[in-house]
Amino acid sequence: MGFQMAKLNSVNRFTAHPAGILGGGGALVFVLFIGLPVVALLVRAAQQSDFLEAVTGDVALTALRLSLFTSIVSMGVVVLLGTPFAYLLARNDSPWLRVVDSLVELPLVLPPVVAGVAMLMAFGRNGLIGSGLEDFGITIPFTTAAVVFAQIFVASPFFIRAAKLGFQSVTKDYEDVAQTLGVSPWGTFFRVTLPLAGPAMFTGLGLAWARALSEFGATMMFAGNLTGKTQTMPLAIMTAMETSLDSALALSVMLLAGSVLLLAGLGLLTRRRWQGQ
Amino acid sequence: MMDQGSVQRPATNGWVKCNVGAFRLEADWEIEPGQVLVLFGPSGAGKSTTLRAIAGLLRPESGHVEIGGRVVYDGGDGIWIPTHQRRLGYLTQQYRLFPHLKVAANIGFGLRDRGSLAGEERIGELSSLFQLDGLGDRYPWELSGGQQQRVALARALAPNPEMLLLDEPFASLDAELRRTLRRELRAMLAHTPIPVMLVTHDREEALALGDRAQVINEGRTLVTGDPLEVLGQPGQGRVARLVGVENLFDLAVQGRNPRDGTMTCVGPGLRLEVPLDSNISGGESPEGAEDRVTVGIRASDIILAQQELSGSSARNQLRGRVVSVESRPPGYAVTLDCGQPLRCHITGAALEEMGIQGGQLLWAVFKASSCFLVDGIRPPTTANQQ
Repeated sequence: MGFQMAKLNSVNRFTAHPAGILGGGGALVFVLFIGLPVVALLVRAAQQSDFLEAVTGDVALTALRLSLFTSIVSMGVVVLLGTPFAYLLARNDSPWLRVVDSLVELPLVLPPVVAGVAMLMAFGRNGLIGSGLEDFGITIPFTTAAVVFAQIFVASPFFIRAAKLGFQSVTKDYEDVAQTLGVSPWGTFFRVTLPLAGPAMFTGLGLAWARALSEFGATMMFAGNLTGKTQTMPLAIMTAMETSLDSALALSVMLLAGSVLLLAGLGLLTRRRWQGQ
Repeated sequence: MMDQGSVQRPATNGWVKCNVGAFRLEADWEIEPGQVLVLFGPSGAGKSTTLRAIAGLLRPESGHVEIGGRVVYDGGDGIWIPTHQRRLGYLTQQYRLFPHLKVAANIGFGLRDRGSLAGEERIGELSSLFQLDGLGDRYPWELSGGQQQRVALARALAPNPEMLLLDEPFASLDAELRRTLRRELRAMLAHTPIPVMLVTHDREEALALGDRAQVINEGRTLVTGDPLEVLGQPGQGRVARLVGVENLFDLAVQGRNPRDGTMTCVGPGLRLEVPLDSNISGGESPEGAEDRVTVGIRASDIILAQQELSGSSARNQLRGRVVSVESRPPGYAVTLDCGQPLRCHITGAALEEMGIQGGQLLWAVFKASSCFLVDGIRPPTTANQQ
């Protein structure tokens, strides 16, 4: 009897806190699974004698510059156009907008390579509108613009989704009250809505930026791999892999450091000084 | 009404018709400067919708809205002044203090000169008026419910609005705090010579704050008048039920005593002396057919006694057995079976002293003038219409 009771108790403890046992185990597995490769990368790079040389080399710096430039441009476009769009999605609930809403999330599930092929079919020299653009002397595929296109395509949903949720969390009552206090709708947006949705938007921007920096498949298909023109960091890493593992390692560490810095920086901006009610 | 009113006082009045889904609202109002008009009704009556229409947060189908003599909306003339140019103060029950701004920034939110010295002064002035000194650097979530309400009110009054709209401003506070803040608001409004429209479903609040009361239900105004008359002894059956008159009896008029100003009404197991109806149609009513009336008695107007009171001036003394005793803070509600259930409100002390419990025989005593006629007199033929 007593034995059975003890057994029951221990079973109860197990079932009462499944998060403790299973969650703890899961955490351990994931920390190792994600941490180990990162550590391995850093260890291998540190063993390298010409690490600094590879990092400051021409190929690396050119790719880094291009990655930074294109991702900043694409994030600028995403924020400028995506913010009002996300606001519209958050404040309206027409069936038409719901269709648009799910369309916007398509790139999240679409393999980037497919996205690249699709963009080629649209903006390529013989593409749907690409041929028309060609007549005006505008060429998009295999240019730096194509890199930006690819990044916007794959990264924008991360920002728009987060911004939409951020705007939805700002009850319309706040905007109503602000307007009764004599503040115009524009003023209300900048003084109430935007600051309140800000943390969510920065989170989304961080994810979108990281996604844009790591963009590979669509860029490869639609923009190619031209040094100084379309060869971003991920493409440079793949190219380097074919000739020298060392420079590939150096580039990887650079990209890793850049991503971590970006996330940390945006994390600071995401922290709020205030609490909701 | 405009001919007399337009001499001096700027008008704050209007009417709107709105459709919100299947709900249809037809409201009209008129408020003198410095007066508090209470919109009283159950939830879903259209009170908040009326406020939102006045504030321009909702576009009516048709109507005319004037604030302090300025037309801000006219459906016919196509006038539409947007919310932010209407110069209103608008307070909702959740206050909606901006969570990312400190108290001082919240109060000064609507000030054009909030950065300047004059703006700072205005914020300081309001802070001390609303007993918020020293709290300027706190965030809203660091304040108590009462303080939050004061900040919201200070914020609404800071830009000197032409009209104040209060939508259940005390609903999210506990009873005691509500009473304190109600007193404060009353004092505050006395200094504010602007029209105020207050929405509530709390009778006590309406009586404490209202200069006039307007009862609305299902999108229609039922009655407008002095709060005590409209909400204390409401003359309309529908209004009586809305404001929660505890005792309503359907009785037949048996005899009138014009000398005493009373009449005798009877119903199943019940015989009451009530005030004589003013629009006297009875007296000449044909023999055999009795006029019928609905009589209301407020539970708090009834005295409970252990014995029949001899030599008392009260015209009504009913004997009945205690059916139930319910807690009704701050006192108790006792229901007697006097042929028909009669609800009485008494204090906890009285309950204890008299040792009231179920089954006990008690006397309910009340004056004839505590009874009031609801819906006036109805000729016998309409007896069954309600």
